[in-house]
Amino acid sequence: MSRFTGLIPLALVRPFNALGGLLLLVAAMLPWATFLLNDGPFPEKSTLQYFDAPFELTGFRWHLLVFGVVALVTTFVPLRGKDRVLRALGWGGLVIGLVCGYFIAENGGGFGAITAADGASAFGSVVAVLGGLLLILGSMAKPLDEIPEWPTSLFGLTGMAARLEAYAYLIVAFAGVLWLVTQTLTAGGIGGAAFPYAGPIFLAFLGFAGGLLGALHGIGLTRWVSHLSEKHRAFSIIVLLACAFLLPFPFTGAGSQYWMQVAAVIGVYAATAIGLNIVVGLAGLLDLGYVAFMGIGAFVAANLSGAVASQVGLDLPFPVAALIAAVIAGIFGAIVGSPTLRVRGDYLAIVTLAFGEIFTRAAQNNIGELTGGASAIPGVPQVTMFGTAFNEKITLFGAELPSGVLYYFMIVLVVGAIMAVFANLKNSRMGRAWIAIREDEDAARAMGIRTGKAKILAFLVGAMLAGLAGAIFVHKLGTASYDSFKFLESVTLLAAVILGGMGTIPGAVLGASLLFVLPEKLREFDDFRLFFFGLALVFIMRFRPQGLVPDRHRRAELAGETAEGKPIETEEEQAVLEHEERGHAGPSAPKEDRA
Amino acid sequence: MSAAQHRAADTVLEASGVTMIFGGLTALNDVSIRLEEGRIVGLIGPNGAGKTTLFNCLTGLYTPTRGSVRLRGKSLPSDPAKVTSAGIARTFQNIRLFPNMTVLENVLVGRHIRMKQGPIASVFHGPVFRKGEAAARAKSRELLEFVGLRGVETEVARNLPYGDQRRLEIARALATEPEVLLLDEPTAGMNPQETEAARQLIFRIRDTGVSVVVIEHDTKFIFSLCDTVSVLVQGEVLVEGSPETVRDDPRVIEAYLGKPREEVEADVAEAAAQQQREDS
Ligand SMILES: Nc1ncnc2c1ncn2[C@@H]1O[C@H](COP(=O)(O)OP(=O)(O)OP(=O)(O)O)[C@@H](O)[C@H]1O
Ligand SMILES: [Mg+2]
Repeated sequence: MSRFTGLIPLALVRPFNALGGLLLLVAAMLPWATFLLNDGPFPEKSTLQYFDAPFELTGFRWHLLVFGVVALVTTFVPLRGKDRVLRALGWGGLVIGLVCGYFIAENGGGFGAITAADGASAFGSVVAVLGGLLLILGSMAKPLDEIPEWPTSLFGLTGMAARLEAYAYLIVAFAGVLWLVTQTLTAGGIGGAAFPYAGPIFLAFLGFAGGLLGALHGIGLTRWVSHLSEKHRAFSIIVLLACAFLLPFPFTGAGSQYWMQVAAVIGVYAATAIGLNIVVGLAGLLDLGYVAFMGIGAFVAANLSGAVASQVGLDLPFPVAALIAAVIAGIFGAIVGSPTLRVRGDYLAIVTLAFGEIFTRAAQNNIGELTGGASAIPGVPQVTMFGTAFNEKITLFGAELPSGVLYYFMIVLVVGAIMAVFANLKNSRMGRAWIAIREDEDAARAMGIRTGKAKILAFLVGAMLAGLAGAIFVHKLGTASYDSFKFLESVTLLAAVILGGMGTIPGAVLGASLLFVLPEKLREFDDFRLFFFGLALVFIMRFRPQGLVPDRHRRAELAGETAEGKPIETEEEQAVLEHEERGHAGPSAPKEDRA
Repeated sequence: MSAAQHRAADTVLEASGVTMIFGGLTALNDVSIRLEEGRIVGLIGPNGAGKTTLFNCLTGLYTPTRGSVRLRGKSLPSDPAKVTSAGIARTFQNIRLFPNMTVLENVLVGRHIRMKQGPIASVFHGPVFRKGEAAARAKSRELLEFVGLRGVETEVARNLPYGDQRRLEIARALATEPEVLLLDEPTAGMNPQETEAARQLIFRIRDTGVSVVVIEHDTKFIFSLCDTVSVLVQGEVLVEGSPETVRDDPRVIEAYLGKPREEVEADVAEAAAQQQREDS
């Protein structure tokens, strides 16, 4: 139960919601900036220009309009989980209003720009913020409803028919995901000089996406879809791969060389984050030097690639080189992991931290002539297979795909494979042993688990995946430099895992995407972007410690929900009561113990 | 004496002269106990007598300062994982489940040493792997059924009521297919009905051929359950023998039970009557 529950009387809920929805709707129609900013008019015709075409709403104003209408309708129709929907819409509207308003005021000369100046008024952002706040307040009157459960088949079908029905839903759902991904990637354009408003537009879009997903979650839709996709796992994977495959095609809007580049980098880091997730998320071992394994993989691959600058002078085909890179990184993983036999917790973090630092310093000093030192190993050749270099443009099904698309495809496949490895490991004897160690090491040993071996294996597997990712990374980039594998990268990866949700795949991928897209999108904030970034992390950890896509187990642990996602409070109270009763009635109360 | 009786008297677990010293504190002093196949041995004694410490020595969590522990004549390694593989499973006084894993997963972890899947098979999930996994799940469900946990498979362990957590811990221990099961206060915090259910459960476990050692403070429970009882006081075995001998021993009554003799006798008489009711 939230501390704020009961802040406003129940009777005010409906007026608050209705007014909030109305304000969002009005905000969409109002102008947002009173005058032209230095960088040109604020996008979506929001600079007093709406009078030209009052009904032609696009971008964030269109999003607000949708939110407003949905909020109004939801207020007056009976709908299970509606308070969650309204709250999510409120947050979405609030974020859009705050981001745009803040940016206009900050960039365009003060408060007058978003209120009234020079005889003109533009209250869009203020009204949007107010509307959002009202909706959020309205949801605080009483504890939130339970998220409704949906039947597997909406039409009561069984057997083959139900299966086909589920397939249809999954295709629609994944198409929606594809749409959201491309919209997110392209929202605000590339940023920098080309488009000065990329940052706020992108953040405003995130507000929209968050509000939308929150609302869908509130009515139980996302849970239902994830339940369906779990039930039809093979089919979901195929559809997901197909979606990823379709992304570079021109009709998605993300099919440019630039976005292929970004998507490929995200993929590489997502793969690495999943590997790290084995070590941190499953086995519960804090690894602060993880990116070093990626670096080892990268340098091994660079040396075996036939690059002129490499002293090894070997020129192996990429798959062989990548495999060797993974194995060598894995061996280092096992070596670094071996102190885990003796040290626990914090000490292990220090050991890994030291290892990461040793790696960077060694690479910086061109250890064994293998890393090129400060001048790096430049000129790593493109991966070439079947006579096609991976950075060429290709034509597929009559559509011209941008250059870099082959790397993208390869990385999609690799990430898919790594996801499968992770999921399989997690649901195996090995994965359960790791989780058991994370949960209670002594109890795990009492179950016959050789904890030392298991931990080293976790390090080994994680390092192998990182090494593989590093090999791809270095070919894509063309240069292997110690600069790419520093402590900050390790921390960012760790943040990706924690942010997305420990122990889950979508979590790691989402975390990696956010962490590597956000800096791209927020270029104009320069050094401030790291600051925003840190701020966002702090907020997420405060309000959603289980991560964005939490593991069933973690959710239970950190968010006070049961495995099925029901709030735990009442059950817990019950259990405590029962326990106390028993403690008194029983022959002896349990005593503390050292075993 | 028939062959069956002969085997029933085989010694499964034997600790001899176990001494455990923590710094200046002698928690166990020259303790010897013997467990015969298919028997239930009780271990009682006041708080801090060293009962749990003895369990820790038997399972390799502590390495005894002196003395030896033998399972079927072979001395045990001082590594809990290896001891479990050798055939000793235990529960903990302060329940130690894997709190955020589901009920079924907890038991599956118990199957760890009985499964053969290596890392490679775990990555690829081939047909052999799947067969092994399905078998492990079937066996785990069977064990949950056996200890009386139904319909909670997918619940996370920490959400179970207290008594169910104790039962789950027993199911998890049984999943390792032990020869010897060590139960540390299995009924602590349970109400009378649950305690009785636990007693029946321990009998059923014994009937499957597992030998059991039980630590408990509830003397009525112990005397009606065990074949022999050892009384541990200040790290030493004070008395050892059948429940009747132990409860009649004046030293026990004075040193441990601390209640008037009549009260103890009433407890025992009641337990005996209960036993009779069951037998008839
Ligand atoms: N690891 C340890 N280090 C130091 N002293 C210990 C340790 N473990 C146990 N002891 C001490 O050994 C003595 C016996 O403790 P033990 O837990 O075995 O008692 P117990 O018979 O199980 O008592 P209870 O009925 O309260 O569970 C206690 O004095 C305890 O403080
Ligand atoms: Mg104890």
